[in-house]
Amino acid sequence: MPTGDYDSKPSWADQVEEEGEDGESGSLPLLASTELPSSPGVDAPKLVLDENHKIVVDYKTDEDGKKYKIIRTFRVETRKASKSVARRKNWKKFGNSEFDQPGPNVATTTVSDDVLMTFISSKEDLNPQEDEDPMNKLKGQKIVSCRICKGDHWTTRCPYKDTLGPMQKELADQLGLTTGDKEKVPGGEPDAAQAAKSSTTGKYVPPSLRDGATRRGESMQPNRRADDNATIRVTNLSEDTRETDLQELFRPFGSISRIYLAKDKTTGQSKGFAFISFHRREDAARAIAGVSGFGYDHLILNVEWAKPSNN
Amino acid sequence: MKPILLQGHERSITQIKYNREGDLLFTVAKDPIVNVWYSVNGERLGTYNGHTGAVWCVDCDWDSRHVLTGSADNSCRLFDCETGKQLALVNTNSAVRTCGFDFGGNIIMFSTDKQMGYQCFINFFDLRDPSQIEDNEPYMKIPCNDSKITSAVWGPLGECVIAGHENGELNQFSAKSGEIVGNIKEHHKQINDIQTSRDKTMFVTASKDNTAKLFDATSLEHLKTFRTERPVNSAALSPIYDHVILGGGQEAMDVTTTSTRIGKFEARFFHLVFEEEFGRVKGHFGPINSAEFHPDGKSYSSGGEDGYVRIHNFDPQYLEFEFEA
Repeated sequence: MPTGDYDSKPSWADQVEEEGEDGESGSLPLLASTELPSSPGVDAPKLVLDENHKIVVDYKTDEDGKKYKIIRTFRVETRKASKSVARRKNWKKFGNSEFDQPGPNVATTTVSDDVLMTFISSKEDLNPQEDEDPMNKLKGQKIVSCRICKGDHWTTRCPYKDTLGPMQKELADQLGLTTGDKEKVPGGEPDAAQAAKSSTTGKYVPPSLRDGATRRGESMQPNRRADDNATIRVTNLSEDTRETDLQELFRPFGSISRIYLAKDKTTGQSKGFAFISFHRREDAARAIAGVSGFGYDHLILNVEWAKPSNN
Repeated sequence: MKPILLQGHERSITQIKYNREGDLLFTVAKDPIVNVWYSVNGERLGTYNGHTGAVWCVDCDWDSRHVLTGSADNSCRLFDCETGKQLALVNTNSAVRTCGFDFGGNIIMFSTDKQMGYQCFINFFDLRDPSQIEDNEPYMKIPCNDSKITSAVWGPLGECVIAGHENGELNQFSAKSGEIVGNIKEHHKQINDIQTSRDKTMFVTASKDNTAKLFDATSLEHLKTFRTERPVNSAALSPIYDHVILGGGQEAMDVTTTSTRIGKFEARFFHLVFEEEFGRVKGHFGPINSAEFHPDGKSYSSGGEDGYVRIHNFDPQYLEFEFEA
């Protein structure tokens, strides 16, 4: 330093203070304080342990007559500073601090809790920023998808509800009547595959959502489809109907692969409708022709093609 | 580290500044008190009284003899650093937003707000000529018509003043002719703070557009960008390491309308070259409005919207920290 080192006589001290009941003692680092050579309030016994510490014991009586022993532990630090800094250290206080004692005033200066600097590596740093705002994540994807126009709103709020809705229903009905297969037009599959491909942007995709995942179940698909094709729905059955009754009723039309009778979970009684799957579609067609309108158990049966299930 | 908490203000802190050696810390806030503290132990040396409104800016000259403050009470005042006596008073038409001593301490610069029908001006006074202050006649007065100045510092060698504008523009105003010698627009929102490196060859800007940027002080070349997700109110360069400290946080008016996660008010440390964040220090419970490194680089202080100033002495972990790119 051009000014040369100057041992600033007023030493800096880190003050350690603890207030406690008689006999108790301890230390708590409080403040760096300045102790001038002429510093007042050191009438109490002063004990210097070594060069770096000074312990001041003070006795104080409060309004209840209780006597307190105050032990302050100071860490004395001598710092070398340039002349100008040392000179400034001895400036008289002014303004609102004019009448403050030497050393920090507890009204304006306190030591706050320990804080640590948290070090972050670059990778850790990126992630918190990404999931900073959970709403941001959702912004990209649709939470709600309209069944009619695939728009970003509830189906009931769809602006095309009145026009598109019935049309689609009709269309779906027709498709269901002709073949359930219509749903799976030749162009449909590549589309799906493409969509899956485009979503591979390096993000983790669970196996169930991967490209091949939809193909895995394919071997099962034709059977189910065949089922759907040759499945009829029987409604307006009486409550007492049993599966065996249905078997008896439909056996004459052809071999039956499956009978499903909707039953109430608790009472076990029929809910009034059933699905019958034939092995052959012609048998099913004949069954519709034969049984529809047939009086069974005081009710007139209604038989029609089952609509392909959505899943 | 155990920060020292300075409670000398009743309102949010607007600026804090160390003197050249760093033994004194000046703090101003949106109350009329100007405080000066010993940075080593947080002891308050005194207050510079006289202002009657929010104080926006403070500066101290090279040899810590004079203190300059600018306030929203439409005045700029010069104080004696040692005694707190007011030496000069310059009345203005609108609030004084930024002020500064040049390197020699003889010329002062301050800018006024575009307010109440008055233009934004940068005023230059030469303290060696007392008549300038007496007659309130600056030797130079530069009008800024387009966008008002929100932050300003003296450039290298006292040749120019670098000013950041409300629209994100940066201008270099020559201190001799008043001409605009350099102009660049890298930010798209208000520039809240400009601080120079120790040798004044570079400066860092803090902007409301969530970034802080490093520029060459002479050529105004844009060098680095430090990105955050909150408005940056203050940025400072470490005098000993390639580190930048960024203080900011969501604006007080947005606190209730955004996600409830706390902890947006940390001081954030970025590597100057790699532009990557490597550390954070918590503590304030409001956005940091002003942050500055101690000139020895071993401590830093921050003043926040919460009205507190915190002096942090770095732990050895920071001083030994090596950035792994």
